[in-house]
Amino acid sequence: MADVTLKNVRKSFGTFTALENLDIEIRSGEFVALLGPSGCGKSTTLRMLAGLEFPSAGEISIDGRVVNDVAPGKRDIAMVFQSYALYPHMTVGQNIAYPLRKRGVPKDERAAAVQKAAELLQLEPLLDRKPAQLSGGQQQRVALGRALVREPKVFLLDEPLSNLDAKLRSYMRAELIELHRRLGKTMVYVTHDQLEAMTMADRIAVMHGGRLQQFDTPDAVYNRPANRFVASFIGTPSMNQIEGTLAGDTFTRGAMTVPLDRARFAAEDGPCVMGVRPEAVTIGTGHVAATIRLVENTGHELIVSLALEDGTRLLSRVEAGRRLSIGQTVQITFEPDAIHLFAPEDDGARLNTDEDASVIPMRSH
Amino acid sequence: MTVATTNTPLLERQYARLGALLIAPTIVVFSLVIVYPLLAAIYLSLFSIYTPTLEGDFVGFANYWDLLSGREFWNSLRVTLVWTVGTLSLQIVLGVGMALLLHQNIWFRSLARSLVLFPYFLSTVVAVLVWRWLFNDLYGAMNHGLMQLGILDMPLDWLGSMPNAMIGVILVGAWKYFPFVVIAVLARLQTIPDHLYEAARIDGAGPIARFWDVTLPQLRSVLVVIILLRAIWDFKEFDLIYLLTGGGPVTSTQTLSLLVYQEAFALNQMGQAAAYSVGMMLVMLVFMLVYLRKTGGR
Repeated sequence: MADVTLKNVRKSFGTFTALENLDIEIRSGEFVALLGPSGCGKSTTLRMLAGLEFPSAGEISIDGRVVNDVAPGKRDIAMVFQSYALYPHMTVGQNIAYPLRKRGVPKDERAAAVQKAAELLQLEPLLDRKPAQLSGGQQQRVALGRALVREPKVFLLDEPLSNLDAKLRSYMRAELIELHRRLGKTMVYVTHDQLEAMTMADRIAVMHGGRLQQFDTPDAVYNRPANRFVASFIGTPSMNQIEGTLAGDTFTRGAMTVPLDRARFAAEDGPCVMGVRPEAVTIGTGHVAATIRLVENTGHELIVSLALEDGTRLLSRVEAGRRLSIGQTVQITFEPDAIHLFAPEDDGARLNTDEDASVIPMRSH
Repeated sequence: MTVATTNTPLLERQYARLGALLIAPTIVVFSLVIVYPLLAAIYLSLFSIYTPTLEGDFVGFANYWDLLSGREFWNSLRVTLVWTVGTLSLQIVLGVGMALLLHQNIWFRSLARSLVLFPYFLSTVVAVLVWRWLFNDLYGAMNHGLMQLGILDMPLDWLGSMPNAMIGVILVGAWKYFPFVVIAVLARLQTIPDHLYEAARIDGAGPIARFWDVTLPQLRSVLVVIILLRAIWDFKEFDLIYLLTGGGPVTSTQTLSLLVYQEAFALNQMGQAAAYSVGMMLVMLVFMLVYLRKTGGR
């Protein structure tokens, strides 16, 4: 068990800066997801924790020990790769035993540890097979087995589920949550899939363009996104963001005016961006008129694409079974407690003051 | 459905006929240049033939009896095996070593990669002339250099005495053919996923353990093919040895290929030469069967 700290870490490749001013403190036993789009620096961060890349500046420590100059094999970490990286010529048993063999663990102890890991991951019948004879999910479990067999302080997982099909992925997700609960070890999990991050992690580090955007619980990241990037990246479909002007108690865009409770915002009059999640856009009543452009039926709900009078597009999530037809003009309302305001820049910060006012119950999906 | 069932076999027959027609030229050429000489050699080996006239009498298996009871064939077979094993092991060691080196991120990598092919591209005649000059016991650069370095105090007769002649031939053979190993191994090295090395590093494997546990197992399949192919080619090597030593001193570097040539064109015994070459072919058949077994499954 260990806490992992990155202090003011920077990483550049030649003139390209992949990461800047990265400060993350991961508590002992925590499951942390590094989440972000491709090229955001999340994998580089993980590889630096593993010792496969070296920070250009800053300090990385694991369990209180600075590991900047410590070789990967000596950091007491284990890593699961996206491609699993199983040794193709070794059997499942030999693969799992390999990290122990390289550490000079005696043969009988090794066999016992392999047996234990195999039991935990239900790999016993496969121990004599070669990786090529296994399915993707089985290979994934072998990679996990190889990681957990020597009981490292920290587990690093690099998009471990992204090569699996959807059904297996949700199964393995549950398995991993269960595994983390049972082992109680620190886990750092890289993913670009927000669903994985939201469902599995204790805390999510949202990254973008080599910078940490927000590091908080799934609930906070969803309900109190730190800025416009986090607001748009988390949530499917993503949050509606409408550029407009704040003046007094109203937010205006074109012909649309939305009354606001100014006490909830630390914003000054002037241009700003209003953010509303699709589930907070209700169709039926209200004083904003919109035209239905598209209705997508997902089975348990409808995703409705709306156009305001000036052409601005919005998304709304409504319960399945509503009769809505394309071209129909409807009145919509934004739930007042669920309105966010952001500074108008591309990465504009959130301007709400009341931390909890915007929390609305997340729907199960 | 009925149309399909009556038509498909006809179409298939037409395809089969077309297929046979298309491979026919290959079969004809193959028969002319491989099957006919093979059968002709076996036929010749049953006669005692004077090469210039190509005339002679049927002697049955007498040539084979001479082969089995005489010293020449067995001596040459031994020489051939020493040469093949010697030069091949050097080729593999040098080739894998050089491939590993060229796989590293060194600054002169692309230049070195083209330079390393040089011996393989060079005509054997040119290469051998240069090496003979280097090996020359009177004015050779090799003796000069080694004496300057103090390794030798007397010039060495490199190609005219044993075991130097065999060592020289093996060295030149290794120099000439190791680029083939480099190219094949390098190509395979480039396909080994980096993740395997990274996983091994995290699992605590040092550079040597990574070579044995990741690199070598991944090279196994390509090495099997290289070793078998090069073994076959080295086994029947002719020009390099013939030009370098001519089989000498006496017969100490006379491989089977040289023996066959000597018998056919120096001693003018075409029948006996044919018998030797059939014997040589049977030995090579063993290599070939191993090769087919190792590669046939894939």
